Amino acid sequence: MNDNSADGGILLECRSVTKSYSGTTVLDKVDFSIRRGEVHALVGENGAGKSTLVKLITGVTNRDSGDIVFDGKTVPLEHSRKLSQELGIAVIYQELSLIPGMTVAQNIFLTKEPLLGKTRLIDSKKMNRMAQELIEKYEFPLKATDFIDRISIAQRQLVEILKALSGHASLMIMDEPSSSLTKTEVEMLFRIIHSLRAEGISVLYISHRMEEVYALSDRVTVLRDGKLVSVLDKERISPAEIIRLMIGHKLEEAAIHHQLPRIESGVVLEVEGLTSVGKFQDISFLLHEGEVLGIGGLVGSGRTELVRALYGIDPIDAGKITYFGKPFAPSVRASIAAGIGFIPEERRLQGILATQSVTRNIGIPNLDLLAPRGVVRVKAEQEYSLRGIKLLNVKPPNPDQLVGNLSGGNQQKVVLAKWLVRDLKLIFIDEPTVGIDIGAKEEIYDHVRKLAGMGVSVILVSSDLPELTRLSDRVIVLRKGKVFHEFKECMLTSEMILRAASGITEGSDEN
Amino acid sequence: MKIKPLTQDVRLLLVLLPLMAVLSTLSPRFLTLDNLTNVVWSVCLIGILASGAIYPRITGGIDLSLGSMAALSGIVVDMFMNRFGFHWILAIALTLLIGALIGLFNGFIVAKIKVPAFVVTMAAKTYLYGVGLVVSQGAMLAILKPKPFIAIGTGRFLGLPIPIYIMFALALSSQFILKRSAFGRKVMAVGANEVAAKLSGVDPDSIRLAAYTISGVTSAIGGVVLASLTQQVFAAAASGVELDVMTALVIGGTSPIGGRGSVAGGLIGAIMVAFIVNGLNLMNVPASFHPIVTGSVIIVALLLNEGYLSPKKGGLSSARR
Repeated sequence: MNDNSADGGILLECRSVTKSYSGTTVLDKVDFSIRRGEVHALVGENGAGKSTLVKLITGVTNRDSGDIVFDGKTVPLEHSRKLSQELGIAVIYQELSLIPGMTVAQNIFLTKEPLLGKTRLIDSKKMNRMAQELIEKYEFPLKATDFIDRISIAQRQLVEILKALSGHASLMIMDEPSSSLTKTEVEMLFRIIHSLRAEGISVLYISHRMEEVYALSDRVTVLRDGKLVSVLDKERISPAEIIRLMIGHKLEEAAIHHQLPRIESGVVLEVEGLTSVGKFQDISFLLHEGEVLGIGGLVGSGRTELVRALYGIDPIDAGKITYFGKPFAPSVRASIAAGIGFIPEERRLQGILATQSVTRNIGIPNLDLLAPRGVVRVKAEQEYSLRGIKLLNVKPPNPDQLVGNLSGGNQQKVVLAKWLVRDLKLIFIDEPTVGIDIGAKEEIYDHVRKLAGMGVSVILVSSDLPELTRLSDRVIVLRKGKVFHEFKECMLTSEMILRAASGITEGSDEN
Repeated sequence: MKIKPLTQDVRLLLVLLPLMAVLSTLSPRFLTLDNLTNVVWSVCLIGILASGAIYPRITGGIDLSLGSMAALSGIVVDMFMNRFGFHWILAIALTLLIGALIGLFNGFIVAKIKVPAFVVTMAAKTYLYGVGLVVSQGAMLAILKPKPFIAIGTGRFLGLPIPIYIMFALALSSQFILKRSAFGRKVMAVGANEVAAKLSGVDPDSIRLAAYTISGVTSAIGGVVLASLTQQVFAAAASGVELDVMTALVIGGTSPIGGRGSVAGGLIGAIMVAFIVNGLNLMNVPASFHPIVTGSVIIVALLLNEGYLSPKKGGLSSARR
């Protein structure tokens, strides 16, 4: 048996762990360690390898090579979720894994319920009492007998934490835990993280929010392109420094430096003081003809909410929208009729009709043209579909193919195609290339630029900073629901966007 | 080797035709015009109801109130004609209107209040049966007049019973609406992915309202035809028929989770079940065995339709490898 204290306070040690998916190395010989009772932040851009590292630690996937030692025990190459739980590694999931119809206590003790004597029956009284004791120990605003579907998202996260604590976890992994919480809820979460640390429990905190990383962490590990960049101790942690390390100064940086042009074309859309309570406030901007306007900001900064409201999906509480010089009250139908299109952020959930053919998918927003008197002109529909397939190079070029059977990139091309076959004037594009292979990505970029070249105005929301820098003619960065900064007619880099998204105004930091 | 996949309806015909061949060798009486007409006749009610019930099904919902609605429609049309003395055409028109309103009401609760369709229409099935009991005073009423009304169910045209024409007319129009109209496209889109449909300009709520309304109207038509055919009405006249309709639709390839469906398939499905029952009768298999056969047919049809047995889905055949 290993002596737990013999490892000098290190709880988890990863040595030279490597992982590749179908030939692409996503983690390259990364060393990573977490001390006992520390809050350790893991940061990096999208695709830096954060979630892969977490998956290797929790046994969701197996590493190709390298060693992982947890609590003095070597973790075998054939790792598993079950083993990681037995070791004491708990994950607080972003998409929560609780059972809605059951109580707090039932969820906490799921599969480890206290039994009545020697029977197989659950001792509910004892279980509720144990849960309540746990709740009171951490002073959580919860009741053991509350049903999960009646409590808030923040409270559900607390239940997840209690579930992990009841399983005697010594490492708690939190992946963007604050993204759906209000300010007071975040403060509560921070207090809880501090009390976990006081008990000697280690917390691995993954977040894009620099101020949280700054406020919470004892150490920060920065990953970039699957490689370890740096491990910062408490004294060296500053948002500006982290951002500098995250973005790095790569050779390709020159290509990412992007000169924003002067736009002189006419105004298509004018937004003034747009507000949706709790989502965004007092947003104003202009959009010109043939311009790609990038919207940057962290997840939860109100980017998606803003474009959804502008397209007419969600209601607006205050503000004025002027479209081609006339007041415009958006509704999805009015928007489509006015030549506006919308590419939603989650392709599978919001974009495609998976069980239907390419032709049907392309046809749906165009029924006004394909069936002016209610009966679909099948020939025209087929022609639209073939045109869309050809325009976007959908593979395979089969109009009868079910869209659910296409690759992610080709699904996204179909979602684009259904709008591009129309006479479009403005299109909202939200995270167009998430989970798409590099080839399809380039093709989609070409189309966005080509659209702008044809005079179509584009509003692009993206968390992919090089994508945003490269495609946009102008960028506005949202922060906490407000326009924080606008970049125009200047040199633009990913770092500048990320700094603005993190609330750093130019010239205000120590660098 | 790549073969262009057959459409669901064609595949069903490929099952139906050999089935008929087998049945005709087993019983010389099977392939007579009288017998075939009888079989199709017996599926008339199912076919008429399925033509409308498919809409809620494709949107991902279900209408279980069909049977009670049909029976109530029979009682109501009789009341209008024989108690109030309305002209039979007016009586039918009013009955269909009531069917539409009740369907609309179901649709309203499903679409606007977001109560699961299963619960809403199950409740409707019960209260409509209750209304039928009250209006008919719990009795089985005979309809003997007017003559033109009776002719709807019992008359023949070119040698075939009129209800067969009604069924085919409704099924064909429904098939046309589903395959060729903008409305049909929208119904399918709502069933396939409500959010995506909404973002493409489809209003899922109004599509659902329309779907349940149509189902209410076809239920009323089915009830009128049934009343005329059997010349008697009572609150339980069509009880259980909703399950036969769902069976026919499932066999016909209408997805149990929505987004896909075919009236033609449903019709073939209904005829197939009727043929099997008919064949069992002709071969003197006791009636108590019939449900075992039809139940098994549903399972087999579902397994084939949903591709559970295809290796791509990681189903049975891939698990074996």
